[in-house]
Amino acid sequence: MNNASLELNIVALAPAASMVIFALLVMAVDVFARGTRTQPVRAATPWVALLGVLVTAGVCVWLLGQPVTTFQGMAILDRYSLGIAFVVLVAAGLSILVSARYIPRVNAQVGEYYALILLISAGMMMMGAATDLIVVFLALETFSLGLYILAGLRRSDAMSSEAAMKYFLLGAFASGFFVYGAALVYGATGATQFEQIAAMATNPATDLTFIYPGIALLIVGFGFKVSLVPFHMWTPDVYQGAPTPVTAFMSAATKAAAFAAFYRVFLVALPSQQAVWGPALATLAVLTMTLGNLAALRQSSLKRLLAYSSISHAGYILVGLAAGSIAGVEASLFYLLSYAFMNIGAFAVVTLLEKQGEMDADGARLRGLGQRKPLLAAVMAIFMFSLAGVPPFAGFFAKFFVFAAAVQGGMSWLAAIAMLNSAIGAYYYLRVTVVMYFNAPDAETVSEVKSNWPLNVGIGVALAFTILLGVFPSLWTTLMESGVVTALALR
Amino acid sequence: MAQDYFPLLVFIVVSIVFAFIAIGLPSILGPRRKNQQKQEPYESGIIPFQDARRRFPIKYYLVAMLFILFDIEVIFLYPWAGALLPLRDGYGIWLALVPMGVFLFILIAGLVYEWSKGALEWE
Amino acid sequence: MPELPIPIPPLPTLHESVFMAIALLTVVGAFLVVAARNLFHNALGLALTFFGVAGVYFVAEAEFVGVAQVLVYVGAISTLITFAIMLTRGMMYGATSPLNRQAGTAAIIAATVFVVMAGLLGSLPWPVAEEPIVDGQIVIANLGVGFVTEFVVAFLLLAVLLLVALAGAIVLAQDRK
Repeated sequence: MNNASLELNIVALAPAASMVIFALLVMAVDVFARGTRTQPVRAATPWVALLGVLVTAGVCVWLLGQPVTTFQGMAILDRYSLGIAFVVLVAAGLSILVSARYIPRVNAQVGEYYALILLISAGMMMMGAATDLIVVFLALETFSLGLYILAGLRRSDAMSSEAAMKYFLLGAFASGFFVYGAALVYGATGATQFEQIAAMATNPATDLTFIYPGIALLIVGFGFKVSLVPFHMWTPDVYQGAPTPVTAFMSAATKAAAFAAFYRVFLVALPSQQAVWGPALATLAVLTMTLGNLAALRQSSLKRLLAYSSISHAGYILVGLAAGSIAGVEASLFYLLSYAFMNIGAFAVVTLLEKQGEMDADGARLRGLGQRKPLLAAVMAIFMFSLAGVPPFAGFFAKFFVFAAAVQGGMSWLAAIAMLNSAIGAYYYLRVTVVMYFNAPDAETVSEVKSNWPLNVGIGVALAFTILLGVFPSLWTTLMESGVVTALALR
Repeated sequence: MAQDYFPLLVFIVVSIVFAFIAIGLPSILGPRRKNQQKQEPYESGIIPFQDARRRFPIKYYLVAMLFILFDIEVIFLYPWAGALLPLRDGYGIWLALVPMGVFLFILIAGLVYEWSKGALEWE
Repeated sequence: MPELPIPIPPLPTLHESVFMAIALLTVVGAFLVVAARNLFHNALGLALTFFGVAGVYFVAEAEFVGVAQVLVYVGAISTLITFAIMLTRGMMYGATSPLNRQAGTAAIIAATVFVVMAGLLGSLPWPVAEEPIVDGQIVIANLGVGFVTEFVVAFLLLAVLLLVALAGAIVLAQDRK
């Protein structure tokens, strides 16, 4: 046992560890409040959780200046993992703001809710940091398990329970696929660490028969988590049934986490097999974009609309991976960040349109919003424009970078299909705007829109960054650029 | 080695055979004179008043889930105990103690949490 | 001696016959899970399967995994599943048909997967361990050393996973006051 060879750089785990510490703190506050029956203390749980998010963000900013550190070949701290951590933090922070007044209405057990959000985020950060299939699996399970529970938070509601049930059964099945794939890759290469897998996969003495079914099963496992067609069946039902802030968190953060590991596994561990997985992923990207967009055209429920839209966005992001280049990775990171801001913003507006006791809003409720609530309608319109990819909002550059990466990677045809899809997508995003401004409000839709300040802050932040990233995308890209190169040069 | 488990195998086979003998032999050899009272399940002389299979309160489920979690925790303690000996020299002992300390701290924090939440109360 | 059209397979060794018995037990249990009409019997079949799988681990000299399988799956998961069935009205009694509209499709898919996997697994030259594992104690001790050194990230992440499960169990199953 040679202890000297161990590299236990705790720093590499700092972001996730910080989130876990604050999760325990939230639990402590919750318990303390129960003991003393003081409501004000109990109401502090979201703010403790938010403090955790901000402190962790501070830690991540500090870590940006640190050199790349690895932990035993199991986890790595580089710009890429920090970038994913930032996206997860954005999603967690915004969702906490949206949840602050929403969740007590849905389920009184607030303490667990915020603790779970933080623990899930920790798991998601580990997805970005993991450089070993075992760690990827545990991180995947950590955040998935939490999300199954959050989806069913409203126990008395049949749709919420159905969402949790569907998500759990299909998710557990998908985890099974992932593990089987990981096991087959391990069987072929004898390694679970990405760099060792890469080394063995290029070694001519290795029998690679098992690696191909392994790759296929890994794609299924990841494809489920990011909801690629044909593994997307769960998405609309789960997004619709889950409490809206949870859906918002799930849509942005799960994508970031699952894509993070997806990218690292394929680009660091299996780059030698790109001839196999590249075309497969390109095909999946085409299917996902097209079917997601076509299905979204027919939705009347706002949450289902956003669910199908999220499927199509997964397709756009996958274009970046199919390109298989560093530019593709950078573009996808930018996409994930922009998507977190604009999509959570859109879901936050949806929470305002929901009626008391409901957890979804029909598209018809948008009618005449432009006259009733001009400011809210304008905000929603901006999120919709951004999702559609209209300049000068974040969504435009997100799409632009990804498509440019595809063209550079010699996949102009894929970029062309993606652009065509953006045009289809623009139709239903703009239709939302049209309904808001050009349809007269009817008696049914004049509902009370009860706002609250945490939600307004959340929407404000999402809006500010949707515009800011659209005008100055270099804010983020310069931050990440050099780092992504180091991450992939490690292989 | 697998051979070490040969006694276990013999044990399993003998117990299965014995079970068959104990249940099978009386039903072949014993006299059968049925009546209403003999047909009832034996409940220490108390007359059964409802089916043994009945719906359970959800509390059992919570306890069973919590049991699984701590069961898994114990599984990990077991090989760790074996690791203490090879790691006992120098700072190796800290290498053994600190990770398990953190592991246990997280789970004990969870235990304290569920306890104070009243998840262990039966009423 | 005249040549036989097919070579007579050698008699299975004790090791192999034990494996076959355990494998048969596992398959019978798995069949019960899908075929028995009473949900409660399905659960018992599942327990049998878990036990068989534990036996396979023992035959493969993975004692620790075998013990873990017995403790967690046979001991706890089966109980949990039984409780879950007993919680549910109407599931305890009466026969539910294991067949539905999709049974045919499912059978075809399952058969295809089986054929593909069996073909794949059977056609590969599997590496054979050069020497048998001598001392299970050392294997388990090495595993323990692995938890705190090489795999410490996974080990700690597991604690977080269990914490998530614990909080989730309370959210899902605690009685509302």
